[in-house]
Amino acid sequence: MELILFFSLTLFFALAIFFMRSKLFTRGASLLFSVSLIGLTIHGWMHIDESPVHFFTFSHEGLLLLSALALLSLPTFYHGFRYTQNASVKHFNIYHISMMALMTFMTGAYLSDSMTMLWVFVEATTLSVAALIYHDRTPQSLEATWKYVFICSVGISIAYVGILLLGFIYGRYDAANLTFDEFSLLVSQANPIYLKVAFVFVLVGFSTKMGLFPMHSVTIDAHSVAPAPVSALISTTLMNVGFLAIFRVFTLFSSTEILPFMQHSLVLTGILSLLIAAGYMLKAYHIKRMFAYSSLEMMGLVAIAMGSGKSGYYAAILLILLHSLVKSSIFFHMGQFKNVTHSYTLKQVGNYMKSYPAGGLLLLCCVVFILAIPPSGIFISEILIFKSIIAQQHWITFVVTALLLTAVIYALLTRVLHILFSDPAEPLTEAEAPGKARPVETIPQFVLLIIVAVLCFYQPDFLNEAINASIANLPK
Amino acid sequence: MIEFLIVAFAATLIYLSAAQRFRVFARFMGVQGVLIFGIAFLELNEMATGNLILVVSETLVFKGIVIPFMLFYIIRRTQVFKVHAQATPSFYILLLNAISLIVSVIIAYTLQNPFINIVFMTVALYALLSGLIIIVTHKLIISHLIGFLIIENAVFLFTIALGNEMPALINIAMLLDIFVGVLIMGFFGLRLNPDTGELTQLKD
Repeated sequence: MELILFFSLTLFFALAIFFMRSKLFTRGASLLFSVSLIGLTIHGWMHIDESPVHFFTFSHEGLLLLSALALLSLPTFYHGFRYTQNASVKHFNIYHISMMALMTFMTGAYLSDSMTMLWVFVEATTLSVAALIYHDRTPQSLEATWKYVFICSVGISIAYVGILLLGFIYGRYDAANLTFDEFSLLVSQANPIYLKVAFVFVLVGFSTKMGLFPMHSVTIDAHSVAPAPVSALISTTLMNVGFLAIFRVFTLFSSTEILPFMQHSLVLTGILSLLIAAGYMLKAYHIKRMFAYSSLEMMGLVAIAMGSGKSGYYAAILLILLHSLVKSSIFFHMGQFKNVTHSYTLKQVGNYMKSYPAGGLLLLCCVVFILAIPPSGIFISEILIFKSIIAQQHWITFVVTALLLTAVIYALLTRVLHILFSDPAEPLTEAEAPGKARPVETIPQFVLLIIVAVLCFYQPDFLNEAINASIANLPK
Repeated sequence: MIEFLIVAFAATLIYLSAAQRFRVFARFMGVQGVLIFGIAFLELNEMATGNLILVVSETLVFKGIVIPFMLFYIIRRTQVFKVHAQATPSFYILLLNAISLIVSVIIAYTLQNPFINIVFMTVALYALLSGLIIIVTHKLIISHLIGFLIIENAVFLFTIALGNEMPALINIAMLLDIFVGVLIMGFFGLRLNPDTGELTQLKD
């Protein structure tokens, strides 16, 4: 009932914004929407494992990811207000209605208890993200939107074939309507070849959303032109939607004999993602694309963690959560970065610490955190991933992952230190003075980083319990 | 009768792989829509009236009428009538298509089970691969749209193959898929430069 109320409220806010045509009203409605999202999350935690309505459930893994979204919703709207302050009322409203729709669809995906319902919400996120990427209405944003919608739609169609194959396994026309629990009871009867084909389709299809190899390019291009707060969500909570879809199918099939096949596929996908991320980061020319490749690297690590098993499962979920907080901080800051430097091109920017000390300090902290250097909580998850790889005695995976991560660290640090402390190699010809930015805008990002730092030293019991409950159905 | 329609659907895929003119593509997309309606109507014989209306609107109205109409409109507006000169020659596309048909047959026989008609499975897989081949080998946006629409038809065939009734949730999913297809055509088909070679502003 509460979930239906939440969906109804979103619809009401969207219609009210459409008819009121006032920026002030839109701001108020957006904040109220954010409060209702936080309220739904709290309600979910109070009714864990209950089904609010058919096809939905307050599962641990869904609520963990929903909590990350709820936590990021207020800063996302705040930075969205700043980004769109000079836009016309029409574009301002389209942006915020699309943002609300995106958050609602992601909420639906997190709480879905049926593969088809999850697919419907994932497909719906594509539409809302398309409207957000196209916000600036430039030729580049049109190109990025086209690539995003087209490749995502093809990928998601492929994922849907994987879901339909589940129906063929059982010969039941209503198979696509079954909940995950109902499926888990039937999975042992399935032909392993069907399961393997279905898993490959789902992995390839949903990798468009998770940003994994082989469909990673779609999100990279979207980052180049998307408004900074939109990039923050594409790179974090939207990737989490793709992760959840793959995680659900992985969990469902993990009790069958195809577990080693799934693990090998994930490790291979993860290593290829890391390889591409490292390669492109070493020749990056655009700071947002560079951080987009950093997201590809992180998702590659998540896939390797899932493929390694044991403590890797825990590490994967912890990494997904912490990455959401750190990477969103980076992308939230990109709006201010552009205001100050007037460019995203690496050769055109420099001396950032001098021109905007608060932003420079934030960027430095963000890079330290995303590279898993203590006090970043990501350090804990990466340690657990390597522990898991070593425990499985996957030495080749260990060596390749370590080498590729070294390349990523080198690429990211050299470029960001250049931005912070060196003169630009090719200063902008217009000789524009550094733009102004308000240091107060960095506060939400510092708060998110503090949370990540605290989680490096102390993981509260409720978090451990929730993550352990999420992976309870996976083989020990 | 159903098998005749399915084989006719497969024949349209072979024809589409060799076609050079977009008007032919548009016409055959309409033919595919009508064929899918026929297959759905004969196969889904236990449908409630509401579901039947949805299936008719998805197949006959959207796939059979609206989508070909939109394709013809895009062709007129963009004045692009033939596939790009640099597209892979038809002979090779046809060859790839033949290979994909063989691969589909092999996969369908490998995945054979008592619940599924093997001809359905073969043609659905073949349609999926054909759509992907058109996207990969052609250079114009309208060709890519055609490839995407063929993939959508493949997904619809998979859905019908599931049984003699189509659950409402699947119908919602299919409607959403068709909506996305129409949006992609309506919005991007007219706004973007027809040549995908021009879409290179975003690259590393």
